[in-house]
Amino acid sequence: MKTIIITIMAFIFGIDDVSFKLFRRPLLIAPLIGWVLGNVQAGLVIGATLEIMWMGIGNVGAYMAPDLITGTIISTSLAIMSSTPHTSLSTMVATAVTLAVPTSILAQQLLVLIETVNCSLNGWAKHLADNGDVKGTVWLIYPPAILTGLARAVPTLIALEFGAGAIQQVIKSLPKFVIDGLSTSGSIIPAVGIALLMMSMIKKFELWMFLILGFILAAYLKLEVLPITLIAIVFAFLYEAATRKNMQPIAQASETVIKVDGEEEDTEGDYDL
Amino acid sequence: MEHKLKQKDLWTMFWRLNTMRITLNYETLQGVGFMRAIAPALAKIYPNEADLKDALKRHLVFYNSHVIGDAAILGLTAAMEESTPPDEKEGINALKTGLMGPLAGLGDSLVKFTWVPIVGSIGASLAFSGSIVGPILMFVLYNIVNIFGRYYALVYGYKAGIDFLNKNQKTNAIQRISTMANVVGLMVVGALIATVIKVSTPVKIAVHSNLTGKVGGNTIALQAMFDKIMPSVLSLLVTIVVYLILKKTNGKHAAMLIIIMMILTVFLKYFGIV
Repeated sequence: MKTIIITIMAFIFGIDDVSFKLFRRPLLIAPLIGWVLGNVQAGLVIGATLEIMWMGIGNVGAYMAPDLITGTIISTSLAIMSSTPHTSLSTMVATAVTLAVPTSILAQQLLVLIETVNCSLNGWAKHLADNGDVKGTVWLIYPPAILTGLARAVPTLIALEFGAGAIQQVIKSLPKFVIDGLSTSGSIIPAVGIALLMMSMIKKFELWMFLILGFILAAYLKLEVLPITLIAIVFAFLYEAATRKNMQPIAQASETVIKVDGEEEDTEGDYDL
Repeated sequence: MEHKLKQKDLWTMFWRLNTMRITLNYETLQGVGFMRAIAPALAKIYPNEADLKDALKRHLVFYNSHVIGDAAILGLTAAMEESTPPDEKEGINALKTGLMGPLAGLGDSLVKFTWVPIVGSIGASLAFSGSIVGPILMFVLYNIVNIFGRYYALVYGYKAGIDFLNKNQKTNAIQRISTMANVVGLMVVGALIATVIKVSTPVKIAVHSNLTGKVGGNTIALQAMFDKIMPSVLSLLVTIVVYLILKKTNGKHAAMLIIIMMILTVFLKYFGIV
């Protein structure tokens, strides 16, 4: 019964991920899974771990990121379902982290497949446009929406139906250092997401300074992310104003050239000083 | 100028804007979604069927941006369709293509690179302490920007119409906000390196003591030494190494890198290094 509920959730969250995007992060999904499975605490901690692990991972441009939705649902469910009353929370987190990586990457391949299949929508849309059929366009989203939902629901159903027992055996037989190592890796892996963010944000060398500033405020002064954001807004204004001034002389120079023909040359000249 | 689209039409567009990404495909990316989203507006603007068909076909082209950028462009495009004379319609697509890049960049750096990590780390730190407030707070904060941002961008894009572009040309607003968002984002990322990535080592080094003359009598924890050099210095090092690897490979092998890091951590754990 719980498997069916989670499969339906996977279907809904799968469609939400490509439409309203209300629940598309691990921390928003995992506690709900935990709630269905009767272990909200595990859901919260697993969700927080995965949220941080996948920080910075998301689709940028045409790049398709690992499928966090399927990955979070399967890994959280299996980690909780394969636990016994004696299983510690850290073992559950380690299980979830270990499962989240391969499931997200495998599920990503399904999304790539759907994007390819969706190419056929262009023909349908063209047909509608040729006929000026505005009412008909409403249907364009239904087949791909169901497809996307199934791409999340079917792997979830299979994994939950056949995975829990096997996972339990594997976790039992693994030596302690493997479990510990895997759960430690959960707090090192965010380096990948953060590095990906850095790649798309550091466009100029001087921007490294802001990264260092943020790091110093957190590492030495132990400030939380929110106060650092507020400080960052101040620096952002200053930096933007400073770099904009560099461009102004050019703008003013060209303005002055135009103004030479007019009469207001003098007042502009004074303003320059 | 009298607007042809009423509040009800804007709601229809908003609804269709939200479901735009479902039709994502490799041929036109969000082209089908955009055509579908603007179709009801076009039906209102062009009562003549031939004009309507041309307009629909005009929007069935390659399109991709960030979701809040989509909203602004959708509103603006509707305003343009309404106001441009028949022989200048082709300019609309040029405008769309011109805006989708900068607005995607702006939306990504404001929402994906800044807001989501901020609310994510706030939510996660509460959730780690077992509080259900964590995910709820994240849900609310994230969706305020997510939903309202989209709605207001759509309405603003439509109402401001061509003024939006003229204003932007004068004040360069998109560029300026992007620069600011980039700075805020980078400072948040810098802070995340220190707070989110946790690398430490339990290794102790035996030091020679002059007093006892014995090796191994005293030990120094390596981590304490690192902390003296700089707190979270290992996190910073790991991040920079990963950054350099990703930069070298153009970010293509991120998934592979994650798996390698997991295996590596297990090995290091075995030897008691992490």
